[in-house]
Amino acid sequence: MQHSNAYTYRFAATVTIVCSVLLASAATLLKPYQTQNELLDVRKNILASVGIKPEEGKTFSHKQVEKLYKENIKEFVIDDKGEVVDGITPGELDPKKDKNRFPLYEKQKDGQVESIVLPISGKGLWSTIYGYMALNTDCRTVIGVEFYKHGETPGLGSEISTSSFTGQYKGKKISDENGKLVSITIVKGKVKDSIADEDAWHYVDGISGATLTGRGINIFLEKDLKKYTPFFEKVLAQKEADNE
Amino acid sequence: MSDVKQPKEGLFSKKNMKIFTNPISENNPITFQVLGICSALAVTVQMRTALVMALAVTSVLTLSNVTISLLRKRIPSKIRIIVELAVVATLVILVDQILKAFLFDISKQLSVFVGLIITNCIIMGRAEAFALQNKPWPSVLDGLGNGLGYGWILMVIAMGREILGSGTFLGFSLFPESFYAAGYENMGLMVLAPGAFILLGLLVWVQRTITKTVHE
Repeated sequence: MQHSNAYTYRFAATVTIVCSVLLASAATLLKPYQTQNELLDVRKNILASVGIKPEEGKTFSHKQVEKLYKENIKEFVIDDKGEVVDGITPGELDPKKDKNRFPLYEKQKDGQVESIVLPISGKGLWSTIYGYMALNTDCRTVIGVEFYKHGETPGLGSEISTSSFTGQYKGKKISDENGKLVSITIVKGKVKDSIADEDAWHYVDGISGATLTGRGINIFLEKDLKKYTPFFEKVLAQKEADNE
Repeated sequence: MSDVKQPKEGLFSKKNMKIFTNPISENNPITFQVLGICSALAVTVQMRTALVMALAVTSVLTLSNVTISLLRKRIPSKIRIIVELAVVATLVILVDQILKAFLFDISKQLSVFVGLIITNCIIMGRAEAFALQNKPWPSVLDGLGNGLGYGWILMVIAMGREILGSGTFLGFSLFPESFYAAGYENMGLMVLAPGAFILLGLLVWVQRTITKTVHE
């Protein structure tokens, strides 16, 4: 049976409206659950970056994540001079408005800072990559890196969130002996083939098939570390003052 | 249309059951029609992800078959493909949203592959080849049958890959530590895509030998 053109248009319009109403209402209804999941995921990754991870093959329950986070992590906001801004938490920051304020997390134990966690994010190849980097209190040595949200090619770029890749960052240095920022660069291929041993502190192996994802990470990691440099300098100056 | 005045058929008549069982074995979408291979390789490293994927595909397939079948006399043939696509896409996005809300970890592991159900040839194929010509009930059976046919192959591959590659079954360790101490090692190949290809190839072979079906 042939349908008239007018009927075809009407039918197409109806299908479009029904589908969009369905999807819009589903998205609105499920939003609260999804936001909560995302927040939990962020917390889980902050914990993972400082080395609080569940055993191999196990996962933390929602409650465990909340509890561990509350016990171990303190949230701060700093400005571009490295000063702590009071009365605001990272959750309240609006990335569009607060361009000169950055979130910062510290792992504390009995009031002692054990590590500093900063968010890192920027463009990979296809998508924005989000992650966290945890540094030792010397503001130089990496404790851990986690990438938790991205849309890179599965099997290639998406390998950045595997522990075999992120594990390489552990123990690397973001600055040289004099405290000058050099960042950590992902090389193409293996570090030992292209970089002299004494410089290997600042390089990690690349993932074959994911050169552009790696290049993206190199760029935003350095950019993000720069934002926190004033804060690092303050921490180190404070440390020196305490020692004298 | 073929469904003018046929004698009334029982819900589980022989013909209907055939529609359901055929895609599970001899006309299996993966091993016989070789459709949906991409996702079959990608999500079968672990049984949990494979199970969720199988359920997602089965539900999308069944629902899209019913919807298309209910609308089959109203869909203008000029735009039928895009209408089918709209129905399938809507269902897939719904499934994706639900997974993100209630099974966040698994949805993260499945990553883009839930979204890619839209382009899974099995679903469009069944809508076009079956649901457009048949009544809703046979379409449900066809959807379920194809979904399960896809699902069980996925589960078998995932079981093989998880046991051999990670030494676990649905996440539980199978081998005691002493095995590893004695020199047993997990087979790394199974975690990678070639492992899935090898298992899938073996399955196709076994299945075609049993059902004696040969591709012309």
